[in-house]
Formats: sequence, structure tokens, C-alpha cells
Amino acid sequence: MIWAGAALIVLMALLGAPLFVVVLAAAMLGLMAEGIDLGVIAVDLYALTQKPLLVALPFFTFAGYLMSEANTSQRLMAVTRALVGWMPAGLAVVGLVVCALFTALTGASGVTIVALGGLLLPMLQKSGYGRNFSLGLVTSSGSLGLLVVPSVPLILYGIVAQQMDVGVPFTIQQLFIGGLGPTLLMVLLLSFYAVWRHGDVPRTPFNGRALLAALKQARWELPLPFVVLGGIYSGYFAISEAAALTVLYVLIVETLLYREIPLRALPGVVRQTMVMVGSILLILGVALAFTSYLVDVEVPQRLFAFLQTHVEDKLTFLILLNLLLLALGAILDVFSAIVIMVPLLLPVAVGYGIHPIHFGVIFLANLEIGYFTPPIGLNLFISAYRFNRPMLDLYVACVPFMLVMLLALLLITYVPWLSLWFL
Amino acid sequence: MRKPPPPRRPVSHSAPIRPGHAIPLNSPAFERLRRALAAFETALLVLLLGVMIGVAAFQIIARNLFGGGLLWGSDLVQVAMLWATMVGATVAVGSNRHIRIDVVARFGGQRLQAVAGRIVALFSAVLCAALGWYSIEFVRWDFVDQVPGFASVPAWVCESIIPVAAAVMALRYLLQTIWPPAAERQDEAQPPTPEAPPP
Repeated sequence: MIWAGAALIVLMALLGAPLFVVVLAAAMLGLMAEGIDLGVIAVDLYALTQKPLLVALPFFTFAGYLMSEANTSQRLMAVTRALVGWMPAGLAVVGLVVCALFTALTGASGVTIVALGGLLLPMLQKSGYGRNFSLGLVTSSGSLGLLVVPSVPLILYGIVAQQMDVGVPFTIQQLFIGGLGPTLLMVLLLSFYAVWRHGDVPRTPFNGRALLAALKQARWELPLPFVVLGGIYSGYFAISEAAALTVLYVLIVETLLYREIPLRALPGVVRQTMVMVGSILLILGVALAFTSYLVDVEVPQRLFAFLQTHVEDKLTFLILLNLLLLALGAILDVFSAIVIMVPLLLPVAVGYGIHPIHFGVIFLANLEIGYFTPPIGLNLFISAYRFNRPMLDLYVACVPFMLVMLLALLLITYVPWLSLWFL
Repeated sequence: MRKPPPPRRPVSHSAPIRPGHAIPLNSPAFERLRRALAAFETALLVLLLGVMIGVAAFQIIARNLFGGGLLWGSDLVQVAMLWATMVGATVAVGSNRHIRIDVVARFGGQRLQAVAGRIVALFSAVLCAALGWYSIEFVRWDFVDQVPGFASVPAWVCESIIPVAAAVMALRYLLQTIWPPAAERQDEAQPPTPEAPPP
């Protein structure tokens, strides 16, 4: 009976049932098999109101949508270009840094490629970077920055992981700091690759006046990183408070100071935000119900026990984990992957002696790569659509970047210090 | 630049549909109803997110200036978030933007997609209806026990959005079973997932 139900659910998932329905069905099936009243699902959904941190998700998402609606990407680009454009392969490095920051602000939902890629790709090609190199850079950096505050997937991981209570306590702030080193490593390695491939591209000399002009253009948005990062890292604000201040500030800046978003456009942005956040949080809500069922019947423990008979050391487990996550990252979107896989895998990982922060960093780094893994990584489709190129071009363009990122992933996985140096 | 998603087009404009199926969706009255509904949803979402931002910001300012804010301020924000979540999720059903693994949509043929779309919509309708049914129970327990929510609002009022939204989603999926939405028939060039914005 339970197996027939499970088979039906898997079939529905493959036929394209919404993920929240799939998880809901799985939770209901499990609860029925255990003889538990299905009303607990509503209790778990309502428990979303008991997690103050969650409020940060709609706030940061709304702020991100507002900024992608305004010309923030252009201003960010101008400032970064004036700052680091003089370096060898300067424009490529600019692209990497800007994409990482913009993805952190907007979540890796393809906005980076659509908003920044359109700007960056012609600029790169005009400055002498190869066609494939430029395309690969724009596509692969669309998910760079997943590990930087206030990236929504990072916050979501923190929420789900803390919910699990795996016995190794950590704060959300520590998780945020943990993500910085690995992101820096990825940007560095990709920059080295850019210099190696295109170090001969003519450089633009540093121009103080251009920097001043760019800074002046961006004067209203410049304080933002300090509000968000300063507030959160210093612990002066709770994360949800920093999120509320961010969204209020961005709202004022983009509508009243820059006047780039007319007030009548706001309801549309709100609707878009809540469709996005609503579908994520609904999955999270039903996943909470499913998770508590899994924990009740001790699935993570059994999984761990099973794995231990086959996988003896941490190193082998980490290799398997990476392979599994890379495959998942190419199929599942990042939010579903977090709410569904973290509850299963985190206790196992902790069992092998992996710190929850390190696990989160590995998890998200894998998903970053999954975003542009052929044949069905999401960024590949968005790029093909945005730049009107055949998929095959994108596969070819992205492979070198993927190899560099895999190298970064190896270092991140096997050098925990990169994520945990401050503990 | 991103624009808000356009209101769902009438099915007949974008794809040929067997006669008999498209008629009710084409009528001007139905279209007016759909627009009014969309406007109501948007207004509700603006109100909820507005309350969340306003109250959350007020709390911070009040705490720093007067050393205290509303006792139930954060409860209000969190309940508003649940409401906005549930309303947003029902909108996502209407505009077919829920996250899914669309193996069939990417690799299946037109006919398979059409059939799969209906089966999946029916399955989703049943599940949402079940969620609605069991959450009514949950709301009723809290109503009977008079469980307090925040300020003087009882908990069952805060919770009531769950069965309501579940019922709306079930209804929408049921309608999609009978009249599949136009967005199911995406052409090759379209990006595969809902998050990808229009050009």
C-alpha cells in the first residue's frame, strides 16, 4: 500500500506535479501509514509564523526585485569597473564580482543573467574577450554569490538546519561568515582563469575622475551593503530587522530618490515577489511536516546506519555527497533541494563529523555548479533564451568554467578551514 | 528589466483548443471576473506586505527611540507573512508558476504534455482539497478551545487562511483539469522554469 502510494507520488513528480503537492502527498502518505492525524500538516504550516527569521525572505526578495527593476545593476557595474577595471582581464574580474554581489542581493533566480548579462556580454566581447569565454562567464556567474548574505538560499539553509537541531549549535551569523571565504576562493580562481585566458586584452588605466563619477551616481545605494552586512555581522540587528530596514531603504531610494520605479509599478513587483516567496514558503511548510515524519520514523538514522556499513570514512562520504548534490543541483531548483535534501543529509553528515556550516557551504557550492551543469542546468536555459544562442554553444562555453568551479569545490570540501576558520 | 507577469491570456489566443473547451474561458464576463480577481489578489498582497514592512520598521524605530514597541508587533508581522505566503501560493497556482521538475515539459511531446498536465492538475486538486479539509479540523480545535493568537485576535482567525487558500488552490487545479492553462503549452524558446523572467 505505502509502496504503491510512493510510486504514484514519484510518477506525479515526474509528470510535472508542483513540488509542494509532491511533498504534501509524501507527508500525508507517511502520516497515514503511521496512523497520525493529517491535521498536523496544518499545524506545521502554521508553525511558519513561529520562526522570526523567515520574515527576512519576503523582505530581501522584494528588495532584490526592486533593485533589478531599477538601474542598480548599471551603477554597481560602473563602480566596480572604476575600482578594479585596470587589472589584467579587468572587465572579466568586474563581471565576476558584480555578478556575485547581484546574485547575493537578488537570489539566484536568473535575474543576474537577464539584468546584468545583457549589459556585460556585449561589453566583454567589444573589449576583446572571446565569444565563448564571455558567454561562459556570464552564464556561470549567474549563480555565483549564493553563499553571500543576504542570499535567500543561504538564509533558507540556516532556517532548515537550525530546525533540525543536530547537536552542533551554530548561529546564522556564523553561517554567513562561513560563506565568505569559499565565495572569495571561487571568484579568485575564476579570475585567475580569466587572466590566464585573456590577460592580453588591452587594459584601461585607473581613472580617479571616473571612479568619483560612478560613486556619485551610486551614492544612494552605496550605504546599503553597510546597513545589511554591518548590521548583521556586528549583531546589532536581528536578521529580520536588517531585512526590514533594507527593504524600506531600497523602496525609498528606488522610488523617491532615483525615481526609476513609478509607484504604479509597485503592486506588480509585490505580486511577483509574493508568488515567488509564497511558492517557496509553502514548500517549506509542507516539508516541515514531511521532515517531522521522517524524523519520527528515524529515516536519517537508518540512512546513516546503512551508509556506515558501506562508506567508512568521511572522505569517501564527501565524494559521494558531492556527486549526489551535483546531480541534484542540475535537476532540482535550489529551494526545493534545500528543504527536501537538507533534513535527510544533514544528520548523516554530522554523523560523519562534518560541521553544519561546512555542510551548508558544500551543499550550496554544489548547487551553484548544478545551475550551469549541462544538459539541464537552469542558467543554461536562461542564457540560451536571453542571448538567443543554441544550447550546444552554451554547453561548450560553460565547460571550462565548470572545471574551475569543480576545483574550487574540491578545495572547499576538503579544506574545512575555508568555511570554519573563525570558529 | 523585469516586468510583472502579464495576466493570464485567454486560452484561445495562444493555442488552438478543441471547440467546446475554450468557450467559457472566452466569454467577456469570465475575463472581467478574472481581472477583478487578479486585482483583488494584488491589493491583498500589497496590503499584507505593506503591513509587514511598516510594522517591522516601526518596531525597530520605536525600540531605539522609545525603548519599546508593540508587544504583538512581531506576531502581527509573522501572521501577515503566513497570509501573504498562502495568497501568493494561490496566485502561483493561477499563473502556473509553482516550482516543479518538468521532465515531461522539456522532453515529452505535445500530446503527452497535454495529458500529463490534466492528470497532474487533478492530483494537485485532490491533495489541496485534502489539505483544506484537515486544516479546517485544525482551525476548529483552536476555535473550540478559544486559543489566543496575538493582541485580542484569536488564533483560529490567523489560521483560517490555510483552509481558505487550500480550497482556492483546489478549485483552481480542478478548473485547470478541465481547461488546461495556456502556459502549459510553452514553445521551445521559452525558459523552462517559472523564475525566468520574460525578455
